[in-house]
Amino acid sequence: MPVLLLRLQEATAGGEAAFTPFSINTGLIFWTIVVFLILLGLLWRLGWPAILKSVEERERRIQQQLDEAERARAEAQRLLEEHRRLAASAKAEAQELIANAKAIADKERATLLAKAREEYEDLLARARKDIEEEREKAILALRREAVDLSIAAASKLLEAQLDNEANRRLVTEYLATLEERR
Amino acid sequence: MMQGPDIGKAIFEHTSDSRVVELPFGLGEWHLPTGWHLFGIDVSPTKHVVFMVVAAILVFVTVRIAGRQIERRHREGKAPHGFGAAIEAIVLFVRNDVAIANIGHGGEKFAPYILTLFFFILYCNLFGLLPWGATATGNLAVTGTLALTAFVTVEVSGLVTLGPKGYLKTIVFVPPGITGIGAVLMALIMTPIEIIGKLVKPFALTLRLFANMTAGHFVILALLGLIFIFSSWLVAAATVAFVVFMMLLELLVAFLQAYIFALLTSVFIGMMRHAH
Repeated sequence: MPVLLLRLQEATAGGEAAFTPFSINTGLIFWTIVVFLILLGLLWRLGWPAILKSVEERERRIQQQLDEAERARAEAQRLLEEHRRLAASAKAEAQELIANAKAIADKERATLLAKAREEYEDLLARARKDIEEEREKAILALRREAVDLSIAAASKLLEAQLDNEANRRLVTEYLATLEERR
Repeated sequence: MMQGPDIGKAIFEHTSDSRVVELPFGLGEWHLPTGWHLFGIDVSPTKHVVFMVVAAILVFVTVRIAGRQIERRHREGKAPHGFGAAIEAIVLFVRNDVAIANIGHGGEKFAPYILTLFFFILYCNLFGLLPWGATATGNLAVTGTLALTAFVTVEVSGLVTLGPKGYLKTIVFVPPGITGIGAVLMALIMTPIEIIGKLVKPFALTLRLFANMTAGHFVILALLGLIFIFSSWLVAAATVAFVVFMMLLELLVAFLQAYIFALLTSVFIGMMRHAH
C-alpha cells in the first residue's frame, strides 16, 4: 500500500513523471469525462432512440397483431356459433316444411280419393240405371215384337184356316146363335 | 541466475498509460502532443485517451449502423436480422434485464446511461485484447471517472426521486421508532456510516473494473515473460497454451466486467430510489 501511494504521488506530482499502472492522471480524468459525456449525449440523441423506438414499435405492432388475431378468433367463433344456430334452425324449418307438405299431400290424396270414389259410385249407379232402362225398353220392345209376331202368325193362321169347312160351319153356327139371341 | 529482460518493467510499461501510441503492423510510434493545459491541469492526450476516443467512436458507429438497419427493416416490416439483431439483443438485455429490472419503475429513463456505460466499457475492455491495443479501463483514472458518473447519477437520481428531505434521510439516517436523545445518537453514529456507504460504492466500482482489467493483462504478460526468462521452446509451447486460455478468459471477463459495472450501477440507482 505505501508503494501504491508513493506511485500515486509520483504520478500526480510531476507532469512528466513516469506512468505506472497505478498512476492517476488528472488529464485522463478530464478526457474520460469529455469522451464519455460526448458519447453519452450523442447516443442519447442519435443512438438508442433509433433502436429502442423501432423495438418498441415492433413490440406494439406484434401486440396489436396478437390482439387482432384474438379478436378475429373470437369473431370467427361467434360466426361459427351463429352459422351453427342458423343451420339448426334451417334444418328444423325444412323438416317442418316437409311435414307440412306431407300432411297437405295426405289430405289432398284423401280428398281426391274420396272424390274419385264418389264419382265412380255415381258412374256405376248411372250405368246401372241406364242398363236397367235399356233392359226395360228392350223387354218392352221384345214383348211388342212378340205380340206383333204372334198377331202376324195368328193372322196367317187365321187366314189359312178360314177356308176350312169346319171353320165355315163354326162361323155359320156362330152367326146362327147371333140370330137366335136376337 | 539467468540473465533475462526486466519482465516487471515490461509489464508495467505495457499496462500503464503512455505518451506514445504504438501503431499497428510496424508503422512505428505516434508521439502524442504534450503541453496541453486547461485551467492549470495538464490535459495532454495519452495512449488511453486515444483508445478511449477510438472505442467511443466505434461504439457510436456500431449503434448507428445497428439502429439504421433496425429502423430500415422495421419500416419494411421485416423481422430483425444479422448485425442489427445482435446489437438489438444486447441492447434489450442491458435495458430490460440490467437497467429496468434493477432500477425498477422508471428505469427506462436511466437505460441510455446504463447502455452507454456498458458499451463504452465493453469496447474499452475489448481493445485491451487486440494486438497493439491498450485497455483504457485498466487505468484507475478512467474507471474512477466512470464510477464518478455513476456516483453523481445515483445521488442526483436520489435527490430528484426522494426530494431534498427524503434524500437527506439517506445521509442522516435515524432508524424508525427511535426518538429524543437516542435519535441524535443514532444520527451521529449512522451519518458517517451512510456517507462511507455512499463513497464505497463508486470506489468498489473503480477498483473492480481496474483490477479485473489489469490483472488479466498482468497474468498474460507474466506468462509471456516466462518465455523470455527461460528461452525454451518447451516453455513457450506451454505458455502459449496458457495464454490462449487466459485470452479466452479475458474475453469473458471483458463482457462480464462491463455487465457487472452496468448492473451494479443500476442496482445502486435502484437502491437509492427505493431507499428506506
